Amino acid sequence: MTTIHRRAVLAGTAALLATTARAQGVKPRLTAISQWSAGSDGAAITALGKKFEERGGVWQHSPVPGFTTDMMNKLRAQIMAGDPPACSQLKGPEIAAWSKIAPTVDLTDIVAAAGYEKVVSPDLARLHKPGGKWAALPLQVYRTNALYLSKRAMDKAKADKIPVTWDDFNALAEKMKAGGVANPIANGGTRPDDGQKFEAALVGISPTAYRAAIMNLDAKALNGPEIKAAFAQTRKIADWMDPNTAAQHFSTNLARFIAGDMGMMIQGGWAQGVLLNAGFKLDDFIIAPGPTNNGKPVFLLNADAFIFWQRKDPDLQAGQKLMAELVMDPAIQTMYSQITGSIPVRSDVDLSGPGWSDGQRETARTLQGAIAANQAVLSLAHNMAQENGMTAAMIDVITEFVKNSKITPEQATTRLAEAVEGAR
Amino acid sequence: MRRVAEYLTIWVPLLLSAGHVVLFTAWTTWMSFTPSTLVPVVGWVGWRNYAAVLGTRNWSIAFDNLLLFGAGFVVLTALTGLGLAILLDQRIRAENVLRSIFLYPMAVSFVVTGTVWSWLLNPGMGVQKLVNGWGWTSFRFDWLIDRDMAIWTVVIAGIWQASGFAMALFLAGLRSVEADLIKAAQIDGAGPIRLYTRVILPSLWPIAVAVLVILLQFAIKTFDLVRALTGGGPGLATQLPALVVYDFMFQRGHIGRGSAAAVLMLLTLLGVLLPYGAWKFYRQRRAARA
Repeated sequence: MTTIHRRAVLAGTAALLATTARAQGVKPRLTAISQWSAGSDGAAITALGKKFEERGGVWQHSPVPGFTTDMMNKLRAQIMAGDPPACSQLKGPEIAAWSKIAPTVDLTDIVAAAGYEKVVSPDLARLHKPGGKWAALPLQVYRTNALYLSKRAMDKAKADKIPVTWDDFNALAEKMKAGGVANPIANGGTRPDDGQKFEAALVGISPTAYRAAIMNLDAKALNGPEIKAAFAQTRKIADWMDPNTAAQHFSTNLARFIAGDMGMMIQGGWAQGVLLNAGFKLDDFIIAPGPTNNGKPVFLLNADAFIFWQRKDPDLQAGQKLMAELVMDPAIQTMYSQITGSIPVRSDVDLSGPGWSDGQRETARTLQGAIAANQAVLSLAHNMAQENGMTAAMIDVITEFVKNSKITPEQATTRLAEAVEGAR
Repeated sequence: MRRVAEYLTIWVPLLLSAGHVVLFTAWTTWMSFTPSTLVPVVGWVGWRNYAAVLGTRNWSIAFDNLLLFGAGFVVLTALTGLGLAILLDQRIRAENVLRSIFLYPMAVSFVVTGTVWSWLLNPGMGVQKLVNGWGWTSFRFDWLIDRDMAIWTVVIAGIWQASGFAMALFLAGLRSVEADLIKAAQIDGAGPIRLYTRVILPSLWPIAVAVLVILLQFAIKTFDLVRALTGGGPGLATQLPALVVYDFMFQRGHIGRGSAAAVLMLLTLLGVLLPYGAWKFYRQRRAARA
């Protein structure tokens, strides 16, 4: 299979090089900005840059460390100055929003030549082709509702079964509490952290309600019983968390999680990379799919992507083409995901090799199953389901609910619906 | 020739900075009436952005917090500064060293202050843990994670940062009280307490007003301190107007609404500064007449 794809990619390259005569003879150059500066993210994009240079390109990556929004501020400044980077990190519905403020490269032909659309999940593909034209390319996929279990906490609870439904999850948390685990749920205190608890609860209770309320902002679904149930489940989770975490990053408490003072963690796939980077072993913890009440896998999608901005310079245009081919290349996606702990966007990459972990294989399997059951949805907490303004308004309600046990699930449901109306 | 140089030194910087302030204020005000989202656009939406900002819980929480934080921070910082200044004024040894120590927090940026206090005040690793470790296990100091008290942690860190500044101003004031006045009071038999309450402090009040106004405008534009200390949390409990402005402009991609929030903040500042300006004007007029 891969050989056919490679040949298709090569054919596409040849065709493109032939059609753009101007591009011949110039050295492909790429100006890129992203937030990936350090850790496994920094290592991965540096490796990608090396590949770009191996193919004869000039790689000019300027990382903007910090939150994604910091990177966006730099991007905004460059766009307003009329000097956008040839390529920048951007994801989710922001791709459509930003493609309205500056012209993007139409990648439709190059995507078709590579046969990429067939191997990308449809919800994801839709986000990257505003107005039906590919403007951005997804690079890697993360699951935001992965369930991490501490082996030592499982021992304390004398439990060995991985919870499947939310009832199983709650029972296990009680057992852990009884077994002396100080906080059955490991947590940080940041906004996305709080958001992940709620979205994992809702998607596990009803993926249909998630799609209607969170992705489509259907007013009836937003006031529905599933939202109340999700808030009620979030309250249980919040009560099992350590209240002292204030605004800490989740990684602050990983040592306590591994030691069994904290039991379970609802986090993204990136936590695997963070755990291994911190010196912990794969035997210290178990990675499992997020709880799902209907027994079929649910998957909250988060995908990093590159958007390509229109430039007139022939060397930048050649660089954009080269970059697009690299991003879609299964070998490159393999290299990238093996460094960061994500899974490839392409559904046809074989994860049986030694470079992959069991957690990554399980994640890829769960994604396949969830897509088949139409239960792969876009993450709210990680800005995949809505534009930033709407996301922030919804997370406001969720984070207040998590931190304030006096708010009832009914009140939170009303407030969520109101926040959505206010942010429209 | 000399006159030209004088005019240049005074007017060029003055016009530039005034132009800067006025131009950007006008621009922001204009933006607040446009439908701008990710980038500025031309258009007119009337008061819609203002209605949207005023309708959010963030803004109402931020404004309530501003009243609490503003009052707490200004009054307590001024009192702490005054207390330190009076103690330092007792012709003690090592006054210079102590003065530098008290003034030193002012040299630290608010982000550093916020970060350090976020560790000190965290019940899991700061003061509470220390005291618990000493054996007083029921000791609780968890304001940082208590929604109702969290805003006071910002006040504490703010006092630590700014009281040295208030002290320096008050100390200068104390030193400028006429020696004859103090001598006269002492001859009349005034004790130290009476000397302060009846003679020295009443002559300090123009400085006190200046300190209060400077601290109040600090309070209104506080941003980095609270961002580093609580990040606006727990939940939304320590939101302040400057955080809301930043949030709308740069996190949510709503330049129009962010500008509206910024204009509302400016109006709050004017509410403080205009009465102060009027009061100063009135005093000057009265002094000129006398």
